[in-house]
Amino acid sequence: MNESQHGLRGRTASSVDDSDQAALALVTAGQLDALQELYDRYKTMAYSIALRITADGALAEDVVQEAFLGIWRNAGRYVEGRGSVKTWMLAIVHHRAVDAVRRRRPTTELPEREAVPPPALQLPDIWSDVAAGLDREEIAAAMATLSDVQREAIELAYWGGLTQQEIAERTGTPLGTVKSRVRLGLLSLRRALVGEGDGLADGLAGDGGT
Amino acid sequence: MTHSEAIDRAAAYVLGALERTEEAAVREHLATCAEPHAEFEALSGVVPALLELADLELVEPPAALGGRIMAAAAADLAANPRAGAVTPSAAASRPTPSAAWPTPSIPTAPSAPTAFPSAAGRAARSERNRTGRFDWALRIAAVIAIVAVGAWGLSLQGQLQGAHDQLEAARHFDTAIASVIGAAGQPDAKTVILKPAEGATANGIAAIASDGSVVLAMRDLTPTSGSQVYEAWVIVGEAAPVPVGGFSVDSDRTAGFTTRPAEAPPGAVIALSLEPSEGSTVPVGPIVSTGIALAPASQNG
Repeated sequence: MNESQHGLRGRTASSVDDSDQAALALVTAGQLDALQELYDRYKTMAYSIALRITADGALAEDVVQEAFLGIWRNAGRYVEGRGSVKTWMLAIVHHRAVDAVRRRRPTTELPEREAVPPPALQLPDIWSDVAAGLDREEIAAAMATLSDVQREAIELAYWGGLTQQEIAERTGTPLGTVKSRVRLGLLSLRRALVGEGDGLADGLAGDGGT
Repeated sequence: MTHSEAIDRAAAYVLGALERTEEAAVREHLATCAEPHAEFEALSGVVPALLELADLELVEPPAALGGRIMAAAAADLAANPRAGAVTPSAAASRPTPSAAWPTPSIPTAPSAPTAFPSAAGRAARSERNRTGRFDWALRIAAVIAIVAVGAWGLSLQGQLQGAHDQLEAARHFDTAIASVIGAAGQPDAKTVILKPAEGATANGIAAIASDGSVVLAMRDLTPTSGSQVYEAWVIVGEAAPVPVGGFSVDSDRTAGFTTRPAEAPPGAVIALSLEPSEGSTVPVGPIVSTGIALAPASQNG
């Protein structure tokens, strides 16, 4: 079966998102059972992300609790059409987890705990559906398009909670090089996920430089 | 931040690899700049895929976490009521707010017990079906939210009693309050503001003493008749309500009462129901008042 990017996977994912959006609307109205529904659906993903980033079970629990309270209070900020509810919620978990590990590092300046609204990483993420439907071989193939240094930079940023300056210090690499590793790595993943025919990524990759 | 400075930070931004202050500056730029930001769109779309690509080890969170989160959300809701804070089945038939407070009916699932009738008339029902335990706690939270609007206004009704009765009731209540203050001063004590449930007037304050007993000072209670008792319940997270003792109320409509000890951590819900007789193990009568146990520290944020 030739399943295109906009095939069955996309449809399945969007019916989940319809249900998530309905639940989120009820959360906005203050309905606790809708929050419970979203929690039940994403608790494992949320906790696993928090645990991977913090490497500390108790801290990961705090992160998930803070994140779901943030979702509870700020559900009205979710903007339909700019990423799925799942992506929005997990971005909040990620953001809180990174805050938690940075707070553990005394050198990093952080704003007040409650001052940070949910992150605005809300740009279209139509490829998350594609990625969700990939099998292990396809995932391995996508990751293989990255060089080791690109993968390291992305992992230190996304899973390590390091800033690009910290990555430069940690790896003894100039900041400009870190920036282009992260950028070219993401563009490379994008190409691997959506296919070669994506002119945007090709065009953007062209003016990269190191 | 200029447009080109923002573009330069796009990759780090979508990965969350900027200092939070710098991140806020980029977000501000995106919100105000009319130029296209194709770089951001191209890069951010990949980020959710990182979750799939990472071979993330899936770990179930501890079961208690969900209960803590829901208790915290319920407490938040009680502190900051929202206009639509009713469950879906009630939303469709929500009446317009009446004089004293909005009076949406509390939804009753087909199999739900009469534990939570929203109007006094429903109290007579005698089904003893159990509803989902958590559902029960949710309904309490919903009631707290609904009554928070006009709760204290209703206590004025109590002042319609005769002056003498009022004085007696005030003395009784004073004594009860003194006991609450005593308990509240104990190490690790928690305090509870009990607000009336819909259709009820009962209100008061309680402290949970070191040993877990709940010391209540309640007023504006409807006097009990016959075998009726007010039963106190402790509800922790998703657990079933635990009965901790009951008392009767005479015409002074006031009560001071100390319950049996129970496990009642911060966030636990304390509820008072009017039971047809002593010894209920599941609330069957109407809930008349509820509150959330708060640790002193949590009141300071």
